[in-house]
Amino acid sequence: MSFLKLILKNPFRSKSRAILAIIGIGIGIATIVALGAMTAGMVASVDDTLHAGGSDFTVAGNPNNTDTEMSQNQWASFGATPLNESWVGKIENVTGVKSAVGLYNTMAQPKGVNGYMVVIGLDPSNAQFADLTITNGTMYKLNSSEMIMGKLSAQELNKTVGDNISLKGKTYHIVGTFETGDSNQDNGVYTSIKTAQDMDDAQGNVSMIYVKVDKGADVDQVTKRIDNQYKDNVTTITSVSDISSMQSVIDMLNSASWAISLLAIVIGGLGIINTMLMSVMERTREIGVLKAVGWSRKKILTMIMGESLVITVVSAIIGSILGVIAVELITMAGVMNGLSPAFTPTIFIEAFAVAIIVGLLGGIYPAIKATKLQPTEALRYE
Amino acid sequence: MSENVVEVKNLIKTYEKGKVKALDGISFNIKEGEFVSIIGPSGSGKSTLLHMLGALDIPDSGTIKVGGIDLEKNKKLNEFRAEKVGFIFQLHNLIPNLSVVENIEIPMYTRKLSSKEQREKALSLLKDVGLEDKAKMKPNQLSGGERQRIAIARSLANDPSIVLADEPTGSLDSKTSSKILEKLNSLNKEKNVTIIIVTHDMNVAKLADRVIEVLDGKLLENNDDSLMDNEIKV
Repeated sequence: MSFLKLILKNPFRSKSRAILAIIGIGIGIATIVALGAMTAGMVASVDDTLHAGGSDFTVAGNPNNTDTEMSQNQWASFGATPLNESWVGKIENVTGVKSAVGLYNTMAQPKGVNGYMVVIGLDPSNAQFADLTITNGTMYKLNSSEMIMGKLSAQELNKTVGDNISLKGKTYHIVGTFETGDSNQDNGVYTSIKTAQDMDDAQGNVSMIYVKVDKGADVDQVTKRIDNQYKDNVTTITSVSDISSMQSVIDMLNSASWAISLLAIVIGGLGIINTMLMSVMERTREIGVLKAVGWSRKKILTMIMGESLVITVVSAIIGSILGVIAVELITMAGVMNGLSPAFTPTIFIEAFAVAIIVGLLGGIYPAIKATKLQPTEALRYE
Repeated sequence: MSENVVEVKNLIKTYEKGKVKALDGISFNIKEGEFVSIIGPSGSGKSTLLHMLGALDIPDSGTIKVGGIDLEKNKKLNEFRAEKVGFIFQLHNLIPNLSVVENIEIPMYTRKLSSKEQREKALSLLKDVGLEDKAKMKPNQLSGGERQRIAIARSLANDPSIVLADEPTGSLDSKTSSKILEKLNSLNKEKNVTIIIVTHDMNVAKLADRVIEVLDGKLLENNDDSLMDNEIKV
């Protein structure tokens, strides 16, 4: 038997103690994974929308020019500040811009339903920006009361082509269903920009402008040009972090994730110290024997630290699986409002890093205690 | 003439800040291949002496040379323990969750042996103590005598030149005891391993070539002139 095999075998001598320690640390790890997946899913969803249809960046109104309270329109646009429709033409005229398309987003509560859905106003001629596939029916006609409905909302509301839907006191006709792969959009409807503006009496306003740059043009240079030229009125958004309100939500989720990680380290660390100290105490005589047969302090230290790491790494594996299952169950239960979690490698790297830190911090004290045992006293231990 | 494998001079060890004298100026030598028993009543200091010979404890003063190594000057006592001596304790002290053969392999982790070499060596030692059929069993599936035979096999894992046995038959019945002593005796006679056995059982002590008697931390009938071949009749 190799030394490594001994380290792998030892923690499970007291199965119930090992299982309890694994559950304790595993719950912390599962929470880290679940929160991380939700945050990553949110970022990915916003990012998908910001770069819909292959747009290089998005232009929105300058956030300093708006009230602090967010309108439904802003909620639907991840907090981006709306701007006047006339800006679409102005942005299109900036050097390096190939095309600029305005869209108007809002939130609406379908009659008889508890939750809200996103309404995206985009003219059918610009539908390529939506990056959607019509799965059933046809595209809506310009400036009509026609809509196409996302796959998820169609399922949830039990609607199909030919049905009507009542939003904000008006009835709209569903002419098609679509799928984008982005949960935020698939959970909403698309209609003409004017139809969406009329819902909010926001004629002449756009929520954001999708911009594509000329082939070979540098996106950074074009955004800088727009920022310099129109900085008092508009802002360019290339990633989620450019939307301050969105970024603060992500920051909050990230802080919560780190706080839980820290809590997991402290609680898990104390748990593993307790587990390993008990293990060392129970094995005092055995450690005396190991010293008697010539094991060095380093070898004993490696063994105890290794055992601690085995427990925490097993916790990380089980915790990660539990985290994924929990998020999938929450998603299936529909309480995520259509948000799809994203399991990125970073989440699991973070979870395993936390587990390893817990293992090392929790194992070091019991390991040092074991190496400091006097062999003669250890051999006399009852 | 055999060389001295153990040289002990004026060994003093106290506990509780000098209030308890465990060893009080002990000196003796042991020759290579000798079978020596250290006897004395409980608390006489015989186990302390054995622990010092195995570098498990250090004296307050005096010198101990084992296998030519001055234990006071040697900084790597764990290497000394791994290479030079093998321990057998009163309680077998086998690791309960490991199989018999894995227990014998434990001392070999201090050497650069492959898992296969370790296993071969352990099985051969197991055969020597007549328990090759118990290799996969756990210690709690064996009798007391069998466990102690496993402990003997473990003490020989790194081919020590000296085996230190602390009351190896203390928890065994007389029949099993004689089997264990027989094994130690054959080890001494056939492989020329120096055996130092601590016991308070005179019948066990009688089997040795020489008896060292310790009382209140001192050698009984210690004579400066006969230090080199101290022999005590029991």
